[in-house]
Amino acid sequence: MNTLQTRFGEVSYDAAQILQFPEGLIGLDRLQRFLVMPNRKEGPLFWMQSVDDPDFAIVVTDPTHFFRDYLLAPDEREREKLGIDADGACHALAIVSISDSREITLNLSGPILYAPATNRGLQVILDDPRYSTRTPLPTVPAG
Amino acid sequence: MLVLTRKPGEGIIIGDTVTIRIIEVKSGSIRIGIDAPGDTRIYRQEVYDRIRQENIEAAAGWDMTDLDALSDQLADRTKK
Repeated sequence: MNTLQTRFGEVSYDAAQILQFPEGLIGLDRLQRFLVMPNRKEGPLFWMQSVDDPDFAIVVTDPTHFFRDYLLAPDEREREKLGIDADGACHALAIVSISDSREITLNLSGPILYAPATNRGLQVILDDPRYSTRTPLPTVPAG
Repeated sequence: MLVLTRKPGEGIIIGDTVTIRIIEVKSGSIRIGIDAPGDTRIYRQEVYDRIRQENIEAAAGWDMTDLDALSDQLADRTKK
């Protein structure tokens, strides 16, 4: 067991729990190891705590909860980084931000690909004008 | 920074594996072709910078009570 001092207090973890980002996050190459933290509350949001920088933690969510047609398929390079073949399962995660007005937004133009089989993640950039780094949640239809 | 002058059709070779070619210069824009190995990450600078900045900002500004409140607010929306 290893320990880490974070905003969550002292976190104990086993190396096998670590989510590996072989390329780090975009622009933050040294952040290659994360722990998924259990949330105090039920719901779609969860924390990813960096092992490499105890002060760095982000909130992520499954964007398809809110954007049902948001589909990501890793290309060959991405599958290789994730260590999966063409049939390997891969999910999208979106990084969540909070605005000054306490509204949440999702980064749909820089999502994370996550392969559960290998416990690896990869942040990618989508060149799609429909998606923004601060995409507000769709408004809930009345009724 | 190394600065080179190139004309349309001319190129630049970087290392053994990357070739950059000037395709076209038109109304203030330059079209560039890049040949690089498949595992090379190539981004437009401003897009890369924006994602990087967004990653840094996403890690700031949170506290645990925010997340609790938002989780409550969103829990209803994601129940199937």
